Amino acid sequence: MAFAEIRQLRRAFVLQKRIIGALFMREFMTRWGRRNLGFAWLFGEPVIFAVPVIFMWSVIRAPFEHGLPMIAFVWTGYLPILMFRHVTGHSIYAIKSNASMLFHRQVTPLDLFIGRQGLELMGNLSASAVTFLLFYLLGLLEWPQDYALFLTGFFYMGWWSMAVALVVAALSERSEIVEHIWQPVSYMYLPICGFFYLAEWLPPSWRDVALTVIPSLHAYEMIRGGLFGDRIEAFYDIPYLSLILAILTVIGLWLLRDVRKHVVLE
Amino acid sequence: MITVTDVSKDYHSETRHIHNRVLSNVSFAVQPGEKIAVLGRNGSGKSTLIRLVAGVELPTIGSIERTMSVSWPVGTTGGVGGSMTGNDNIRMISRLYNKPFKLMRDFVEDFAELGKYLAEPVITYSTGMRARLNFGLSLAIDFDCYLIDEVIAVGDHRFQRRSHEELFDKRTDRSLILASHVPDIVKQYCSRALVLHRGRAKMFDDLDLAFDIYNDL
Repeated sequence: MAFAEIRQLRRAFVLQKRIIGALFMREFMTRWGRRNLGFAWLFGEPVIFAVPVIFMWSVIRAPFEHGLPMIAFVWTGYLPILMFRHVTGHSIYAIKSNASMLFHRQVTPLDLFIGRQGLELMGNLSASAVTFLLFYLLGLLEWPQDYALFLTGFFYMGWWSMAVALVVAALSERSEIVEHIWQPVSYMYLPICGFFYLAEWLPPSWRDVALTVIPSLHAYEMIRGGLFGDRIEAFYDIPYLSLILAILTVIGLWLLRDVRKHVVLE
Repeated sequence: MITVTDVSKDYHSETRHIHNRVLSNVSFAVQPGEKIAVLGRNGSGKSTLIRLVAGVELPTIGSIERTMSVSWPVGTTGGVGGSMTGNDNIRMISRLYNKPFKLMRDFVEDFAELGKYLAEPVITYSTGMRARLNFGLSLAIDFDCYLIDEVIAVGDHRFQRRSHEELFDKRTDRSLILASHVPDIVKQYCSRALVLHRGRAKMFDDLDLAFDIYNDL
């Protein structure tokens, strides 16, 4: 590549970074503004969701299931699904609801998506961190046996959430049907996503099917394998998962490319 | 210079499965320093034309070339965030256009005269206040060509006088495309007028003639 092209690419990158930063701030101000707790809501919202639910579970279920501590099992299941549901749920009409920003020529629909979904992702990741520390200090969670694997699991869960959100965002601008069916679809996804089971517990033939069609199961296996170490047998295939998510991301980007045509400006 | 060549724009109707042709075969050019009015009845495509020139919507057919920097469509909506405060909008625009925040804020404060309201969400502003903020923001960034959708007419006399000052005394070399219904303002600001009717556009060098025709539409 020629020198000038590299410079041009870097300039474009710097410009885009600034735009996304501005949109981040806009999204933030729009959702929480300068009122009361302000930025604490970024992770406060998901924490308020997570803590009561996890305590409720720990009361109604036995303290150990399949030899695993209940709270740790629910925490590793619930926080990731919360992230997935928040990131994908907020992606419906992500472009339309920020359409006034498209009045600025340099702002692209992808910038709007990254600003909005990126903030949501960050909020949910920090909620995971905050609840983890909280539960760790209370002695309800142990330190991960393999924290690199644990974090890799969260990375892939984040990518999976963003990739699905990209597709949902682009499709919701094309058809209102998406808004109506997304809630039931994400509900149906709940029992199979990997929250409630380990791949280890499935019969081998089912396990292969589950690992082929449910990308989030790999991420769950990594998170739990990282936390519980060799107390469980974790099943995951990073190259396969990366390939599936890369394909999904490309499809999402392709769908978002001409979404401007479907967005009505005020 | 801005060159609009054979531009047509269709909108797909959401309720009836048809395409509405809003603009059809529109061509014109804007030279540096030139001030042009766009006249037309409600729904004749004035705002659409301004958005196309701004590059925030794409023409169905035809091409638009810009060799100078062009503002966003400055109107009473769009371009700013309603639930953000005036100050936060200034900060956002300053980042989007890479201008120092302090300089921008000083200019907007002085021009828009919104005082303490800059700390309030834009959604609580009146139409005139929004016009002042929006126009102030665009003037704070040096564009070669300003695209103005009605906002000057929305403001009070003081605002109109100050807008005139900014666009004529301080920025004589800048171009302007102004969509407006108000003859006084058009005559004060523009030297030519593009009259839109049923998707067609015709340029008039004689403003009085343009208004006669517009009034007969």
